[in-house]
Amino acid sequence: MIHCYQNNGVNIVMDVESGGVHVVDDLSYLLIPALEPVFMREHSEEEVLSAAFCVLRENAGQEAEMTGNDASEVAGYQKEEIEEVVSEIISLYEEDLLYTSDVYEKAIESFQKREIVVKALCLHVAHDCNLACKYCFAEEGEYHGRRALMDLETGKKALDFLVANSGLRKNLEVDFFGGEPLMNWEVVKELVSYGRSIEEANGKKFRFTLTTNGILLNDEILAFLNKEMHNVVLSIDGRKNVNDHMRPFRGGQGSYDTIVPKFQKVAESRDQMNYYVRGTYTHYNTDFSEDVLHLADLGFKQISVEPVVAEDSEDYALRESDLDTLCAQYDELAREMISRRKEGKGFNFFHFMIDLSGGPCVYKRLSGCGAGTEYLAVTPWGDLYPCHQFVGQEEFCLGNVTEGINRKDIVESFAACNVYTKESCKNCFAKYYCSGGCMANSQHFTGNINGTYEIGCALQKKRVECAIMLQAVED
Amino acid sequence: MKKHVRTLNTRDLKKSLKKGGCGECQTSCQSACKTSCTVGNQSCEAVK
Repeated sequence: MIHCYQNNGVNIVMDVESGGVHVVDDLSYLLIPALEPVFMREHSEEEVLSAAFCVLRENAGQEAEMTGNDASEVAGYQKEEIEEVVSEIISLYEEDLLYTSDVYEKAIESFQKREIVVKALCLHVAHDCNLACKYCFAEEGEYHGRRALMDLETGKKALDFLVANSGLRKNLEVDFFGGEPLMNWEVVKELVSYGRSIEEANGKKFRFTLTTNGILLNDEILAFLNKEMHNVVLSIDGRKNVNDHMRPFRGGQGSYDTIVPKFQKVAESRDQMNYYVRGTYTHYNTDFSEDVLHLADLGFKQISVEPVVAEDSEDYALRESDLDTLCAQYDELAREMISRRKEGKGFNFFHFMIDLSGGPCVYKRLSGCGAGTEYLAVTPWGDLYPCHQFVGQEEFCLGNVTEGINRKDIVESFAACNVYTKESCKNCFAKYYCSGGCMANSQHFTGNINGTYEIGCALQKKRVECAIMLQAVED
Repeated sequence: MKKHVRTLNTRDLKKSLKKGGCGECQTSCQSACKTSCTVGNQSCEAVK
């Protein structure tokens, strides 16, 4: 399967199954998709060339099957140039970089029969929050339930559960999440200390991360974060009016002025690495590229701004009619990023980052984020859920950190979910980059983890196209 | 060297079929996405 698109004046051909990405000239861009059917059957070089002539004549409004292939021009193109292009297309085909076919489906079947191990936990150390963000899927931290803080013993059991269920995995990830995790800071510190104390004996390495709204950040906490946290996610939406509209304190006043100086200090103290300022855009800021650029103007170099996921009934929910604007915003953002990089003012945008040469293996790409199998969320009282977005939906409770997993049927349903179980993914060019998308979003919008959340899917495809264009420009 | 096509340096997915699957890579949602799965930007621990 191939996917051809033009972005920012660049002609790009993705050979989906091999992962090959080609930047091509206009003639190649015209011929590569048109010649695909020829390569799907037995063919000779002469047949490919003849087919190329037909394509070009048809494209010029001429009769396709003209005789006289010995002319020096075909439909306005020099014959020599056409021969060169065809030769290069054949060469790519022979190098397994063009028109390749899918050979992974059987492999993923056997991969899914592997022993399932847990390697990452999202620890909900606080189901409470000092902000009242309007779009919060945690319902102001409470996840449709009660306010609660995780106690130390429950947290330790969670880490023990992770170690005991992680098989031979060395790197284990623990994200301190909420609500607002800094509202339970002492437990966070104690759990990091406990985790470090059991690393060596178990042959493990914890990578701790923390996601915070920043309200309670202070110098002491920052020093600890910089010593112990592999990554820190700092929640801010962008421009002051945008942020303060959606991220107010419980009393209604905005949070922007409180958090910006703190976040700037975090970013600088971490040498502008191993952190993200992370925002959410909604129907109220469909011009979200301005928010990304605002964060860049504030000096942040690691930026992530994601589309809100909300019920259609919410006034701030994204809708189908927003899609054209949002896609144009991604294009605009990509162009501006190129421009700023040239000026030495570059920054990273998480959803445009793509590791073409050192990215994940095909197993990871097919099986996705690992929710419900290798990645689990833990509530303050120790219940296990497939991921943070499922917390509060009791039908997805998998068990608890004391007794372990007692709903293996749910785990198996998540283990079975992959690109091939999602009808709309099978023939999608982006399938090895998004891996079928977020299972929680699929569940919420279609009632099935194998369903497709259409708006998220459309935006994901756009982001992949922009990300690859950025690589093409810089390569 | 091709004249009309520039191929970017990409990981050969078919080769990763033989050597991949170790599971040591970062979990997607632990980085900076909490509401949209993004896998292509993760790095492979084995080829670092």
